[in-house]
Amino acid sequence: MMAVTTPEHSLDDLTLGHAVALEDLVSRAALEEMAKSFSALFHVPLRIFAEDGKLLADAADQIALYTYLNASKSGRAALQDVVSAVKSIDPGGEEAVYQSCVTGGGYRIAAIQYDGRRIGRMVLGPFIEPTVTEPAASLLNIDPELSKVELYTLFQSMPRVLDSEVVGLARHLARTLDLILFSGHRALLTSNMHLASVRESFRELEDKNDKLQAAYDRLKELDRLKSNFLATVSHELRTPLTSIIGYSEMLAEGLAGELTGEQREFVQTIRDKGEQLLQLIKGLLDLSKLESGTMSLKKAQTDVRAMLRDVSQTLTPSARKKGVELVVDLENGLPMLWADSERLRQVFLNLTENAIKFTPNGGSITLSAKLTSMDAAHQDDSDGMVLLGARRTAVEFRVADTGIGIPANERERVFDAFYQVDSSSTREAGGTGLGLSIVRRLIDGHDGTIRIEDNVPKGSVFVVTVPVKRATIS
Amino acid sequence: MQLDFVNRELTIKLVYYGPALSGKTTNLQALHDAAEPGASGRLMTLETKDDRTLFFDLLPLTFRNQGSLAVRLKVFTVPGQVIHSSTRRLVVQGADGIAFIADSRASETQHNAESFMDLRENLKQHGLTLKQMPLIIQFNKRDLPEVRSEAEIAADAAKGREPVYLAVAMRGIGVVESFVGLLHLTWSALDAEHDLNRKFGFNAPAFLEQVAQKLGSKKPVSEILGACVGGALDVLRPEAE
Repeated sequence: MMAVTTPEHSLDDLTLGHAVALEDLVSRAALEEMAKSFSALFHVPLRIFAEDGKLLADAADQIALYTYLNASKSGRAALQDVVSAVKSIDPGGEEAVYQSCVTGGGYRIAAIQYDGRRIGRMVLGPFIEPTVTEPAASLLNIDPELSKVELYTLFQSMPRVLDSEVVGLARHLARTLDLILFSGHRALLTSNMHLASVRESFRELEDKNDKLQAAYDRLKELDRLKSNFLATVSHELRTPLTSIIGYSEMLAEGLAGELTGEQREFVQTIRDKGEQLLQLIKGLLDLSKLESGTMSLKKAQTDVRAMLRDVSQTLTPSARKKGVELVVDLENGLPMLWADSERLRQVFLNLTENAIKFTPNGGSITLSAKLTSMDAAHQDDSDGMVLLGARRTAVEFRVADTGIGIPANERERVFDAFYQVDSSSTREAGGTGLGLSIVRRLIDGHDGTIRIEDNVPKGSVFVVTVPVKRATIS
Repeated sequence: MQLDFVNRELTIKLVYYGPALSGKTTNLQALHDAAEPGASGRLMTLETKDDRTLFFDLLPLTFRNQGSLAVRLKVFTVPGQVIHSSTRRLVVQGADGIAFIADSRASETQHNAESFMDLRENLKQHGLTLKQMPLIIQFNKRDLPEVRSEAEIAADAAKGREPVYLAVAMRGIGVVESFVGLLHLTWSALDAEHDLNRKFGFNAPAFLEQVAQKLGSKKPVSEILGACVGGALDVLRPEAE
């Protein structure tokens, strides 16, 4: 019945059932401390037992008379009888029950109750009323071999308290314990409720997590399907578009007869728009290939200087048209890069085109490249560099403009597909929002990094770092 | 409900449910104050620093019937604040009867309704429905201004199944009536299920009378039960008479 309470007990066990044990409500050490202080104050030995008979607190010094009696066989037997009698007493109500002792003294036994149920017992004594000065005949006659003088002397040293006082003490102790037990029960319930609530909240969170995981898995699958769809559609769009461009070219070249000036102009527009559309579709196709991981980079030794000059030559006309200065600043002694030159060129074409797009008339764009080391570029990732590998030399490219700049909180998101800082700028500046996501993926494909910094006093700098792989490949 | 055959003790769990600050704890305090010494244990409040009930209040009441069956009533409250949903669910588990304490103010109508839906949801989580649960509704704070009118409440109550009581728990008005009504419904339901009256020679009307007396009520039980507006106490009344 008095099972030890563990947190596994349900709330109902603790509030409705019988699972509450004395030991669960108070600390044994504290109970003993209290019993000792009580005993010292009132000069009455005190023992507190759990309902199952276990001694929980012992504030009773060995009494010399009992030690002396225990040495004799019949003395021991007589004391045993008293102990059994004390144990068999069933204190029911408020009042402590008296049990006499062979020595002429006695005990008071009282119930410890909580919430209307007995959960333990307290035993006060042995004690002798102060009025009793002579030992009982029963004590002197226990064993003829025991010294009567010794018994007489030891009897005088027994604790002396009025019985009525002990009854009052027992009542007081019962009330004190009730208060302590109430506090203990409250604390036990609180901690159990805490545990139960946490467990319940945990269960709820797990449920939600499972649902989120399922939703996430579904979204991932949808994303994969979207990429496939994108790849298929782009491919299917490209075929007829190639024909449209081809035929409009033939028309423009007069293969189907001479065109009037206006006709030529219209056909040229059809061709230009077709080309524009083709670039867009190519971008989509690249993105879907990059997303699905099916794009293969054709890496070879690449001359950085030649590549950047080519980019600059290609874009100088459009920069000039917009009244933007395009400067190329290359460090001497740049090494060859192990890269896909076509794709890398695409990266810088895109970045530079963007820069032109967002730089107002009179501004300038600087394309630069210099030798650096990869770990220096990765300040955040420098932990354990000594373990993770030797410094890798890298080429750092910077595309700096004096345009509108990119707010710090947007700098990560601009690399998401279809994302644009300000969608209203699209109408003015054009573009699909695909370029930078392709750029990021292409640089990833080269084990490189890309980040955005502020340009002083205004504009932004796209910093691309690509490691120079040791040219061990012939 | 827990039945201890050895000690012939029956423990019944009653739960006071309702929105935050509707007066659940006040109801228990009023019951505690009304109870004769010896019939009621200490009111235990598991509270937070800011004095709002975090887990529950627990009021133990003990009554011994002539048939020598001791009935222990454990009255609980739930925390009303929305965030303590999991705690409410834990406390309501194993309830034998529920008193729903509503705030009479018209402005609180929405909160009452939300809390009631929350009760239904929490019972559902334990595989229970409101129909199975002995339930009374108390409209508390009748003394405040801008409360829903008695006529309005009576009209709505007449359409419902649950007995509805009007109360001012702060002044102890309607508290014992609500409690006795709840106990009556709960006992009838437990008896219908477990045949307690016959098995233990239990005199339910006398028991209710005794509970009412020990809670300081001098009115006859029929009058106490009749204090409700609407609801279906009638269905169970023939047995109580």
